[in-house]
Amino acid sequence: MSFKIIVFIKQVPDTDDIRWTEQNTIQREGLESVINPYDIGAIQLAKKIRLLLEDCKITAVTMGPLQAKAALKEAIAMGCDNGYLLCDKKFAGSDTLATAYVLSQFIKTEANDFDLILSGYQAVDGDTAQTPSSLAQKLNIAQITSVKELIEINKEYSLWQKETPEVTQNIKIYHPALISVNINNAEILPDINGYIKAQTTDITVLSAADIEADITKTGFAGSPTQVKKAFRPEITRATERLSFENNGQISDYIIKLINKCKEQDEV
Amino acid sequence: MKFNTLVYIETNNNTIEKVSKEIIAHARQCFKDNEICGVVVTDEITTILEQFKNAGLDKLFVIQNPLLKKFNVSAYCDVLSQLINDIKPSVFLMGATANGRELAPRIASKLEIGLTADCTDLQLDENSNLLATRPTYGGKMMATIISKTTPNFATVRQGAFKHKQFDVNNTEVCFYTPEMSCLNLFLSQLEVLKTEIKEPKEDWTESEIIVAGGLGLKSKENFGLIYKFSDLIGAKPAASRAAVELGWASHDIQVGQTGKSVAPKLYIALGISGALQHISGINNAQKIVAINTDNNAPIMNIADFAIQSDAVDVLNNLINKLSN
Repeated sequence: MSFKIIVFIKQVPDTDDIRWTEQNTIQREGLESVINPYDIGAIQLAKKIRLLLEDCKITAVTMGPLQAKAALKEAIAMGCDNGYLLCDKKFAGSDTLATAYVLSQFIKTEANDFDLILSGYQAVDGDTAQTPSSLAQKLNIAQITSVKELIEINKEYSLWQKETPEVTQNIKIYHPALISVNINNAEILPDINGYIKAQTTDITVLSAADIEADITKTGFAGSPTQVKKAFRPEITRATERLSFENNGQISDYIIKLINKCKEQDEV
Repeated sequence: MKFNTLVYIETNNNTIEKVSKEIIAHARQCFKDNEICGVVVTDEITTILEQFKNAGLDKLFVIQNPLLKKFNVSAYCDVLSQLINDIKPSVFLMGATANGRELAPRIASKLEIGLTADCTDLQLDENSNLLATRPTYGGKMMATIISKTTPNFATVRQGAFKHKQFDVNNTEVCFYTPEMSCLNLFLSQLEVLKTEIKEPKEDWTESEIIVAGGLGLKSKENFGLIYKFSDLIGAKPAASRAAVELGWASHDIQVGQTGKSVAPKLYIALGISGALQHISGINNAQKIVAINTDNNAPIMNIADFAIQSDAVDVLNNLINKLSN
């Protein structure tokens, strides 16, 4: 029996390239799309597992519009074996809970014999880090969040290094399990064979009906959270513009403020 | 109708996490007509009970079991979900710590409720529905999120609110005993073999005065003046994202949406232009002084005191004065 890894990826707008419309919303047209950098970290660890275990298969999966096929092709070029696109108008507008539901239905109908699910720790366009945990609960499996490195693996269990701002831990987990990978600077340069494979491998597109998804739990209608308003952060303070004759006066003024701050509750 | 807010209180080595106290303080002050309840999961409550004095809770639910000494996301999710189903709070909140960010989505998924992560502001509308505001697109935008499901559930960023002591101390303590037949299964799925606790760094974000430097300092060498100056006045140094990305300062001292939120009495911004993501991280400062050569830099419009000058020159002058 081959060892089956599912890597969930997400196509995200290149956040370094955000432009604003006059209505203070994000200009989506012409926005470059990339694979979420954390998901590339997940692909990197999946490939490491494939080197260590005989007969291991990596399947890349994403939910999104038809254009997201490009992300799956790229994942195959980077070394994944095949790709599935979960694509249905009824998925549009899904929040993290609805997304996790759709992904869990894919697993239940198409990949119930998986051994490991790998995903990025978070997506750079939402950075909520919710979907992996939410999915693990839907599948009733154990999870490790924020993994930096694979230490050891066999078919039955694996050992990972988890890192948070407070601790570094080595954790053993029995399969099937979900691992969220906190590596955002992985670079996988596809080689010529990767590109050929991406061109010749068909992406399987699955609809809500294909994965037996209850459409009352998907998309905008099936999402409990909704954006009430979006705005650019603003701070309004009564700004005093101060002018001084020289830097010496500026220094004196600042030192006065510092002393006031140390002596009184209010500056 | 009586509403109640439930706050998950995270403990670490028998100490309540600061963010948990911050959430309670905010809820107490801003959620009118709400009973403010807490829940703590522990192996032994007596050692930490003292810390709940003056925290501002009306009621504290205690889930106590030796098997729950260590955080296990599946097990904690299971017991907390049972409590929520039983007491049906209208709002449920927890800190967006490493554990909180792992636990909250699992609970939301189990209860099939919405969750808004990493909020920096929480308000109630006239019907006591939660308006949860969070940064998105790397802090370039803010979004206010509502949820159709109950409890309205959110995690809160550390430092978003100020911790406060309350005079009243009549917290009612209730022991809650969930059904725990699945506990051993959860604990057997995963085993922590080794834990290294990172050297606890002094929490510089708590400093009363913070001196922050940005691109306007022009070089890593000049950025060194920030350390020197802050040392001379007993303040803590900080940096903008641009300064960190250029390698002038460590990410540990970055201020802004992808760094730390700070609320000092005095924030001195030297050569920082004030990108939105930076400004939202200093929103809670009492007074902001900005020194920048560019009078049109965004920070010059939001600071309390805006001074047009070269930050490096001013720093050198300050250091000279203070050293003598």
